[in-house]
Amino acid sequence: MIFEVLPQALANGLVSGTILAVPAIGFTAIFAIRLYPNFMIGAVATVGAYAGWAANTSLGLSLWPALVVAFLVAAAVGLATEKVAVRPLEPAGPLTMAIASLAMAIVLENVIRFIYGNDLKGFDTPLERDVVWWGIRVGPQQLRNLATALAIMALLWAGLRFTRFGRAMRACADNPDLARLKGIEPVRIADVTVAVALGLCGIGGMLVGVDASVDPMTGTRLLLSVFAAAVLGGLGSIPGAVVGALSIGIVEELTVAFLSPAYRLAVGFLVILVVLTFRPRGLLGTATR
Amino acid sequence: MTKLLTNGINRRTLMKGTAAAGLFTLAAPAIVRAQSEVIRLGTLTPLTGAGGPYGPVMAEAAKKVAETVNAKGGILGREITVISEDDQTNPEAGVRAARKLIDVDDVAAIMGTWASSVTTAVAPLCWEGETFLTTVSGADSITELPHHGWLVRTQPNTTLQGRKFGEFCIELDAPKVYFMSPQTPFADSQFSSLKTAVEAGGGSAEILIYDDKKASLRSEVDTALRTNPDMIVMGGYTPDTIVLLKDLYRAGYDGKLLGFGYSVNAKLVEAMPAEAVEGVYTLSPSPAEGSKGYDALTKLIGVEAPDTYTCQVYDHANLVILSMAAGGAATGATVRETIRTVAQGEGEAVSTALDGLAALEAGSAINYTGASGPCDFTEKGDITDAKFRYDQVKDGKITLLKIA
Repeated sequence: MIFEVLPQALANGLVSGTILAVPAIGFTAIFAIRLYPNFMIGAVATVGAYAGWAANTSLGLSLWPALVVAFLVAAAVGLATEKVAVRPLEPAGPLTMAIASLAMAIVLENVIRFIYGNDLKGFDTPLERDVVWWGIRVGPQQLRNLATALAIMALLWAGLRFTRFGRAMRACADNPDLARLKGIEPVRIADVTVAVALGLCGIGGMLVGVDASVDPMTGTRLLLSVFAAAVLGGLGSIPGAVVGALSIGIVEELTVAFLSPAYRLAVGFLVILVVLTFRPRGLLGTATR
Repeated sequence: MTKLLTNGINRRTLMKGTAAAGLFTLAAPAIVRAQSEVIRLGTLTPLTGAGGPYGPVMAEAAKKVAETVNAKGGILGREITVISEDDQTNPEAGVRAARKLIDVDDVAAIMGTWASSVTTAVAPLCWEGETFLTTVSGADSITELPHHGWLVRTQPNTTLQGRKFGEFCIELDAPKVYFMSPQTPFADSQFSSLKTAVEAGGGSAEILIYDDKKASLRSEVDTALRTNPDMIVMGGYTPDTIVLLKDLYRAGYDGKLLGFGYSVNAKLVEAMPAEAVEGVYTLSPSPAEGSKGYDALTKLIGVEAPDTYTCQVYDHANLVILSMAAGGAATGATVRETIRTVAQGEGEAVSTALDGLAALEAGSAINYTGASGPCDFTEKGDITDAKFRYDQVKDGKITLLKIA
């Protein structure tokens, strides 16, 4: 029984973990540069999901161009909201900013409701039967989602590693004062980080929407798992977010397969508790400043 | 903190504040007077969340009933105002909204709570606040609460619904049943009566409770399919049922599927690829289509085929108004005392508040029969009789099989 179920549960966990990883990277990147947890990510993921859905069903775009639309709209809406409602509260400290982002999440969610209503929306994509490889069942759409998520992570990693802007971002995250001395403009870095990070959340939202359906709560339902993934991996660490998301995805699916679906969140948070007890900064987190 | 106190309020602001407070005090008796003139009723329906597709029309139906009564001069010489709040299909939000309706708006009755979890959370506030509660929730546990007559429901309870599900599975020659549901106040009671009915027909049933916030239910589907079921009964709401249906299709499941009519609805069929919903059976309490009350409602709200919840909340509004008129006072306690005298018995059959009011004025007793059914209540607050409709998705449309 275990050998029959384990590989399938691992595969399921890997797929759901990879989708979680995309918004988790966004969440952790904002934390690294801006030093506050931005809880707008759930609502912005929903914005991305709706943007992608509109591009797919109204404009007739296929999934890849629709993903670009999801990214751009989520980035634009997210950045504008952050600049108008969250950033002016910076002097009041990270907690105030976090609360403001939570408030804006509720506003965004209801704006979506106002425009599109409560009804569920489905992407115009054919539903494909799963294929079975070596006894493991995988869906073509899940594989495409996996590939998308991996490609985005690779792009982001390369961008941070090799471009001038990426180096500036990392410098800001490591030591903002030193970075400023070197002539790096913190406001511009913050803008780009927030836009890219929230754009990634938009992509995550759309990937979930393609898999399930789109409604005003699509992103909000993800919020807790994304937050858990980022904390588990170490807040502020991008590789940590990926590792955290994969771990959360796998742990949750193993719980479903071997224990009971009812304990999914409980086991997920138990793992976080254990990890944080022994590694308070998360799996790959570094010392906070 | 000192800085905040000293710099925050200066003399001028203090003066302004005092003046405003003074004005408010002067105006207050007028506000109180206005409140005593209007009869306030509340609707607490889900305008957002899983029940979001139903709540807005429900609230509208209750308002329209009040409007028709107001157009004829109201009841007890007073106008009726319906105040609508959103429970977000969420117990916490429901409690906050109910608090507002009871404490701030001082409503005599709250009508239309939809999700069982919300009704369970809101009910104690109602009986403590002497506010009458009418609900469309089905969980058995609701009428088992120590409500002392402060609530009634027009939805058949889940024991009855579970039995119908079980009997339908046997009828469809699908004796091996697998029940998949999120955690709801009715999942257990529904499953146990389903199981009893299936076993009585020589079948067997198993249950899996899943987390409805998950974006994928692949592992849950794997667990279900390992048992080779003939029929999978889906106990969730629309968003998670979509995820479940998609994952069942992807996994290659080609057995039978049965769900609640409120989750496998037209919106779900529209949002899903046709191949994944084709053939799904649904079961739901049936409104009294073709009855006088049903026709009156369709005319009133201009909706061709109102769903069962809209029918039920329409009945709630009529019953509450008639109870107040019959009892001679616009309080929750009056509704509690008199609702069974207008809802059942030997009186003249009426289907709208206006007909009922006219009959009461003429001195006759009345028996309200509404858009959702006869609306006769047991001592516990359950309805005594209900019909169910059985549908199937055929060629992308929900098609009626039978009403029984």
